[in-house]
Amino acid sequence: MCLGIPGRITEMTDDLGLAVGTVDFGGVRREVCLEYVADEVRVGDYVVVHVGFAISKVDEEEAQRTFRILREMSELDDLDWLAEVADAAEAVEVPQPGAGS
Amino acid sequence: MIVPSTLQGPSCAVPHVERQRVQLGHGSGGKLSAALLREHFLPRFGNRYLHELGDGAVLPLGGDEVVLSTDTFVVNPLEFPGGNIGHLAVHGTVNDLAMMGAEPKYLSVGFVLEEGLELDVLATILDSMIEAARACDVEIVTGDTKVVERGKADGLYVNTTGLGHAPGGFRPGPRRARPGDAVLVSGPIARHGMAIMAAREGLAFDADIESDTCSLLPLVAALRKRVGDGVRCLRDATRGGVASALNEIASASDVGILLETSPPVPGPVEAACEMLGLDPLYVANEGVMVAFVAPGVAGSALAALRAHPAGAEAVLVGHVVEEHPGIVALRTGLGGTRVVDLLPGDQLPRIC
Amino acid sequence: MRYLSEYRDPDLARRLVDRIRDTATRRWTLMEVCGGQTHTIVKQGIDEVLSEAVEMIHGPGCPVCVTPLEQIDRALHLASRPDVIFTSFGDMLRVPGSECDLLQVKARGGEVRIVYSPLDAVEIARAHPDREVVFFAVGFETTAPANAMAVWRARQLGLDNFSVLVSHVTVPPAMVAILEDPSCRVQGFLAAGHVCTIMGWTEYEPLADRYGVPIVVTGFEPLDILEGMWMAVQQLEEGRHEVENQYVRSVRREGNRPAQDLVARVFRAVDRGWRGIGTIPASGLGLREEFAAFDAELKFDLGHVRAEEPVACRAGDVLRGQIKPFECSAFGTECTPERPLGAPMVSAEGACAAYFNFGRLRQPVGGAV
Repeated sequence: MCLGIPGRITEMTDDLGLAVGTVDFGGVRREVCLEYVADEVRVGDYVVVHVGFAISKVDEEEAQRTFRILREMSELDDLDWLAEVADAAEAVEVPQPGAGS
Repeated sequence: MIVPSTLQGPSCAVPHVERQRVQLGHGSGGKLSAALLREHFLPRFGNRYLHELGDGAVLPLGGDEVVLSTDTFVVNPLEFPGGNIGHLAVHGTVNDLAMMGAEPKYLSVGFVLEEGLELDVLATILDSMIEAARACDVEIVTGDTKVVERGKADGLYVNTTGLGHAPGGFRPGPRRARPGDAVLVSGPIARHGMAIMAAREGLAFDADIESDTCSLLPLVAALRKRVGDGVRCLRDATRGGVASALNEIASASDVGILLETSPPVPGPVEAACEMLGLDPLYVANEGVMVAFVAPGVAGSALAALRAHPAGAEAVLVGHVVEEHPGIVALRTGLGGTRVVDLLPGDQLPRIC
Repeated sequence: MRYLSEYRDPDLARRLVDRIRDTATRRWTLMEVCGGQTHTIVKQGIDEVLSEAVEMIHGPGCPVCVTPLEQIDRALHLASRPDVIFTSFGDMLRVPGSECDLLQVKARGGEVRIVYSPLDAVEIARAHPDREVVFFAVGFETTAPANAMAVWRARQLGLDNFSVLVSHVTVPPAMVAILEDPSCRVQGFLAAGHVCTIMGWTEYEPLADRYGVPIVVTGFEPLDILEGMWMAVQQLEEGRHEVENQYVRSVRREGNRPAQDLVARVFRAVDRGWRGIGTIPASGLGLREEFAAFDAELKFDLGHVRAEEPVACRAGDVLRGQIKPFECSAFGTECTPERPLGAPMVSAEGACAAYFNFGRLRQPVGGAV
């Protein structure tokens, strides 16, 4: 469980003492209770929303971590690949054009 | 403590499956709907026309052939972003006839009105119907109205029945799909169902989503002109979504379908589906069709669709295969496969 | 969708798949706890493409599936009452009770309404002061803060026609029950990302230590699951058993304190039955006495409700990870999504439904292994 999707806070207000706001999920907007993140968010921040409640603020810096790791991975992969190609080239004797039969 | 005055607990005579009453799921276009058809309607009404299970029936009449189709429209709310029940009533039957390769000519209309329905609302719906009919070049030629007590009919129910002419040589039908055929989807999906859901109490959200209700006649005409008999099957993907339409054809033609690409889903529709945990493949449309075309003409068919504004985002989503007859499968981005089965009833919003 | 779609990139996913294959020197067995994670794994075919490197056992992380039969039957009874508007999350509507389900009660005239948020149920109570509104408060720790707020809010608004039927369960006791089972084959866990968003991960540190299993707090999108699996496999290859966090964009070690605080104010730990598994001590949440006026089990006469599980259903074995859904002889034959015998076949993220709906091409039905 549980279905929690990220959205951007576009409005923050108070409903009889309850911190609420409007969250935009990319063209869909819904009223969301912000009581559990009220101290750390402002308009423009992204939050994860589960059943109409913001349960965390999206850490935008950390959100990049997976992609950083994958980028490092692919840089290493490319280096490995180049090394493999170099090894393979050394192992094969490439016949020179024009050499005798 | 509250003690109930009549102690009536659940008293289902049969475990687990409600065999005695109609459920909402019977109207969803999924497995319950199919079962209702199979177990109640076909045994009693079945004949060579009905058993084709097309969107309409092709009938001999006085030496010629006509196509007949009927559809009843039940939607709450009656007016929604992008249209109202009147638009659905005209486009729905026009599209059913179009899926059979017919040119719609005449519509009949039957209304069940709820006592207390505002006449202004009725007027809006009727205006929409006549406007849609004119745009589709069909005439509403006969009709009927009944009124029921307050509390029934959700405001208004409407049935339209359409009669059309089937030009020879163009007979798409649900049994005609063959391995190798290309499967096309005419445009972005899941708009109608999510537009309705946005307006429902209890799930209310504000969205840039409009119903896609429209006539598919121009797209069908474009296909017919470019590809002719290369069109094997057409089906408008209404309740139960693209998934249900594909399953119906896989079943009728006894072939497998393998999808490699997802049909386009507009951003806000995707967001709404994510929020409620719904799969866009199963969400209702009112202006999208799936088309099965012979392998050699897939490119032309796509071009024909894309040349028209309503088909601008048409895509090739997959092919008909010999394997797993009756089953629709999808290749995932990772190279795995998943089955895209009919759901038992309506998709339910989920928290998990 | 920002912070969602980019975690579905198929090229990056394939890269992670390759990386997991390269890292694993033998086949490891992992359990993902959460039903939402099961859904992604089976729908994307992750277990299929990684089957030589990792066996995924699907855990009991589906609060819908584990809601005890008696609670479903109580819900059905309440929904049948003419004076009650019964409100619920959508997932619960098709879960079978002893005799039928909420959708069938609706067919018979019961007023059953789906809500997205528990606060919507409170609104319905506010709008209908002449009716009793009952909300089916199910879920794991992720949903408890929302349900707690609904009760809190109802009290604040002075509503006397709102109550909740509680069936909350908590994850760590279930993991312990699985780990304590002598036939447990799980070598590492993907912990539920949103449960940990609320609770943090401190509760898992003693588990990783005591049982020697890596636990990786993992999200729900394909890249999250794959990265979590990779981190777990790396730990296993290196002989480590720590708690690590993959879902860094949402989870912090201490979790969400205000949410934990309100849950502790409104609820207390109780013994809870898990459908198909049995009673796990202190694995559930119940309303504190202070909120007794909002407890549907106290407000209504529900004592006569009895529960009877069909014999063929092996939900318990599936939920404990002992068998795969297709190893159950009823799978796909007697038990299908439209005629489910048990909850994991009904619930959209139950393991059985996930396999039936998505995975049928890979495995035969009817008990063949």
